[in-house]
Amino acid sequence: MNKPQGASMYESATKIYPREISGRFDKLSSLATIVLLGLFYSIPWLNWDERQAVLFDLPARKFHLLGLTLWPQDFPYLAMLLMIAAFALFFFTALAGRLFCGFACPQTVWTEVFIWMEQWTEGKRSQRMKLDKAPWSWNKLRRKGSKQILWITFSMWTGFTFVGYFTPIRELGADLIALNIGGWTLFWGLFYGFATYGNAGYMREQVCKYMCPYARFQSAMFDKDTLIISYDEERGEPRGGRKRSVDPREAGLGDCIDCQLCVQVCPTGIDIREGLQYECIACAACIDACDSIMDKMDYPRGLVRYTTENTLKTKQTRVLRPRMLVYATLLLILIIGLMTSMATRTPIILDVIRDRNTLYREIPNNMIENIYTLKIINQDERTRSFILSVEGVDGIVLDGVGETVDVDGSSVASLPVRARASRDDAYGINTIYFTVTAIDAEGVSVTEDSRFIGPTP
Amino acid sequence: MVSEEYRGAKQWSRDKQAVFTVVWISFLTAAIGTMVFFALFDPVDLSGIFDEDLEIGRDAGYAAGFFFFWTLCALCSGVTAFLVRTAPKRDAKHREQ
Repeated sequence: MNKPQGASMYESATKIYPREISGRFDKLSSLATIVLLGLFYSIPWLNWDERQAVLFDLPARKFHLLGLTLWPQDFPYLAMLLMIAAFALFFFTALAGRLFCGFACPQTVWTEVFIWMEQWTEGKRSQRMKLDKAPWSWNKLRRKGSKQILWITFSMWTGFTFVGYFTPIRELGADLIALNIGGWTLFWGLFYGFATYGNAGYMREQVCKYMCPYARFQSAMFDKDTLIISYDEERGEPRGGRKRSVDPREAGLGDCIDCQLCVQVCPTGIDIREGLQYECIACAACIDACDSIMDKMDYPRGLVRYTTENTLKTKQTRVLRPRMLVYATLLLILIIGLMTSMATRTPIILDVIRDRNTLYREIPNNMIENIYTLKIINQDERTRSFILSVEGVDGIVLDGVGETVDVDGSSVASLPVRARASRDDAYGINTIYFTVTAIDAEGVSVTEDSRFIGPTP
Repeated sequence: MVSEEYRGAKQWSRDKQAVFTVVWISFLTAAIGTMVFFALFDPVDLSGIFDEDLEIGRDAGYAAGFFFFWTLCALCSGVTAFLVRTAPKRDAKHREQ
């Protein structure tokens, strides 16, 4: 085999040992982690009216969100919500770079927790590196073993919580204690738990570098006015070590003392001083690191900071630019659209299915009959009474249903009905309209059209 | 030097990149596909199409649907990745001519 000396064909993925750092952004990201994961783990335990507040009840095909029950027919809301999420991501990316990556992405958030557990059991960066190089010993086994126990327990709990969004979590907990978990529930719990373990424990920054599509497209949303984390080359170069007492200007040096701390804290192992790189997830750890050094050296902070390309080039940064206005307008339209459609949502759905077997039937008294199945979906939690009516053909009447129809809460009533009209009024294909009106509530009514077919004249 | 220490950390092998990217992207696509598909169709209604007597629950239906989509998407992006990566290079062709 012909390969260059010293470089293996498959370059080894050397492990990155991010160094711990404290500072403003570290506090912010810890806070984001605690809030976001706190929400993730606690939401399934909250109840609303005797029922789990957020439950995606897939077996029953119903989504419960606080007081609202959504049905598969409400899918457009979900689609709109996803579009809102996408445009919000575009908007914030154009405005402030990869805020999502650094603070809110599940990959980042879970990785952070896994790194905390690694630090508790294996120690600081230098200790972790030493431990990995050291031969197996009781101490190494104990440290690595306790890390695995923490990681696995946490992953399993994560899997359990995930399943708890789809199966009532309290019952699930009881089943778990009784060791009576259903096959699929167990499977999905382990699946999600294992994915968390692998992604946050081992793959970490590789997910962002190689597997994340957003990391690759985000450069399309960036412009010169986007807030990015950047090293102030003008101020920092030429870099070099010096004593604290030395005046850098006299020694012909910039403010960067080349301490490498910004590289050591980076969870993706890049050197921010080489400029903006797509591996950068904007976690701002290097800002904290550099600020701590600047403080020690008595230099002003901000050699590495949040800034824009235009500011670095001493130009004006424009926040209101066409791109921002377009994203903001689309976002606003979608949000208003979603809110109005949810506010005006009628809690009933009517489906009219024409009987496919017969076009029409001729019945005595010169009448024509068509047969339909009406599906009335009552999305309310309580039982409701409805009046059915039909119009569109002169003198058309319904047969086979009572004056009123009762439909239980959160259920579907399937009603076979016959519509009748006089032959003289019903030649050819006519459009008719079925209307379902709730008796007990003002304005709760839906109309659905269908065909009434009669003989050819 | 620290940055030296990380030189090796910058790369996964090309094969590893390809495999993990294909698995992950097809997973995400399959998740969206499954969501849209099952919002429109109920697995219980569907099972009757293939075999009247086939009675699978919704749980199994969703899982089967998801893995079907995942396999399909992985096949599609896997073959695409393979063909793109193993295509003859333009430069090489020019040299031959």
